[in-house]
Amino acid sequence: MTAPAVASLAAPASAGAAGGRPPKLAPWRRRERMIGLAAVAPAIVLVIGFMIYPVCYAVWISFNKTNGLNFDFIGLGNYTKLLADPLLHKVFLTNIIFLISVPLVIVAALVCSVLLYERIRGWKLFRVLFFVPNVLSTAVIGLMFKSLFSYRGPVNAAIVAAGGTPIDFFSSAGTSIAVIIVALVWSGFGYQTLILLSGLSSINPEIFEAATVDGAGWWKRLWYITLPNIRGVVALVSILNVLYTFTALFGFIFVMTAGGPGYDTTTLDYLIYTLAFSSSRLGEGSALAVMVFLLIGGLTLIQLRFFRATEDD
Amino acid sequence: MSTTTSSTLPRRARVPIFIVLCLVGLSIAYPIIYLAFTAFRTRADYLANPFGIPSELTLSNFVTVWNNYGLGRAILNSVIVVGFGLVIQLLVAGLAGFALAKYPVPGAKYISATLVSVMLIPAQVLIIPIYLLLSRIGLVGSLPGLILVYVATGLPFAIFFLTVTYRALDTSVLEAARVDGAGFWRTFLNVASPMAIPGLATLLVLQFIAMWNELLFAYILLPNDQLRLLTPALAQIGGRFTNDQPFVAVGLILTALPPLVLLSFAAKYVMSGLGASLGR
Repeated sequence: MTAPAVASLAAPASAGAAGGRPPKLAPWRRRERMIGLAAVAPAIVLVIGFMIYPVCYAVWISFNKTNGLNFDFIGLGNYTKLLADPLLHKVFLTNIIFLISVPLVIVAALVCSVLLYERIRGWKLFRVLFFVPNVLSTAVIGLMFKSLFSYRGPVNAAIVAAGGTPIDFFSSAGTSIAVIIVALVWSGFGYQTLILLSGLSSINPEIFEAATVDGAGWWKRLWYITLPNIRGVVALVSILNVLYTFTALFGFIFVMTAGGPGYDTTTLDYLIYTLAFSSSRLGEGSALAVMVFLLIGGLTLIQLRFFRATEDD
Repeated sequence: MSTTTSSTLPRRARVPIFIVLCLVGLSIAYPIIYLAFTAFRTRADYLANPFGIPSELTLSNFVTVWNNYGLGRAILNSVIVVGFGLVIQLLVAGLAGFALAKYPVPGAKYISATLVSVMLIPAQVLIIPIYLLLSRIGLVGSLPGLILVYVATGLPFAIFFLTVTYRALDTSVLEAARVDGAGFWRTFLNVASPMAIPGLATLLVLQFIAMWNELLFAYILLPNDQLRLLTPALAQIGGRFTNDQPFVAVGLILTALPPLVLLSFAAKYVMSGLGASLGR
């Protein structure tokens, strides 16, 4: 697979007539290359047209004051305006609060994966069951939790039955965020459990056997063998979840709170939508999108570097 | 394999583990089962005791939602978009994946590296420029526009996945077919693809779930009610009729059902595709 990339430098049409065999390609080989290129072409056109070009276009839009029809170049104006806006600070802080879900997801996933690893009766069924929320749309999950926590919903019915007073969960910032975090954990831990489980399965079982022979109990083995061995996977899962809280909350917010009350549950990805499609400030929306993209890209680079470092251990 | 560590655990210790797993499983299953029941209850019955066991079951919620909120139309739209999207994507990604795996494509390394890095682009970055570009060529508010967007945004992962799938095929079988005079298409369609069916099926299931559940593009690029897809239609039912919980539950169940059915029948494929989609 690596050879053609080098050979392609010598590819141009001159390959036809005169001698110098080694750098030139046999006709059938050239034909193969053309067929290969033709087969990849539709995909390349679509990816450039609908992904690479739009990203470049987004950067250009972010340098303009625009409602989509009239473009007025203002350089970095949108960026400076956004960065000075107290609303953005508040929204960024909200995103940071949502990071509470990350340790919760990790702990839940760790417990479940360690227990599943014991391969108790029916563990395969549990594995599928835990995965169920991952095949559901965030819109479905969001609405489900909105139903469960609505004023006259089952959670409040249970609270009343236990002698408490019903809570209007979506009327204040704290309780709304709490409900969304519960939804996030509910929907997220199953997938992370499976990633951790695959990490556990790659530990050499002989280590456990040796430890057992040496008289190490279950808790000791968990603390001294299992957990240290999946450190890397836990770090990976943590970063995946951090990225997730910056890009994947839109569906939840959209159906559960619409960013409210006020802007109390508006996150960065929801703010992009509000700026661009509710108030027609597409330039500012694009600028925010570009900044979020840079943030995610930066986090991903840190993740990659981090993993190269841990793999060297 | 099946007894890596449990053999070291006494039988007594396994009972609490089983109970914890059952409780977690219940917390996953309960909300879904609860809503499935709610969908079949009358509103009065629900309000009298939302937590309790329904006194009677009725189909009237389904009839009302179907007739009044255009859910039938939305399901049809979703099926059209997802159906065309999957077929086109599988064809385009299959061609590219097969060529990258088995043909000397010039610059293959750079193409693969670009595809992997493009996977990182979040939808929020794409939605504004794509909305403007599509509205300029008159494709906002038309199903083909959304189909193209779904095909394109799913392509990087699909090509990555299928390149791995086709690369695992035995090259000598493909060589034999070529010696017998089979051209690119014949080799691709009649020899390589039948051998790659498990991989193709896994991809199909994963991409079906992704397209069926997508909210942002579907909501923004199809603004008119006539062309609403199911997931955004559901999101709107939820926004407008929150005090009619049984209606919302009907929408939830109808939207959640296809992926759930798929998971229960194709759990093996979904789970095996998981490892590969880790990079997303």
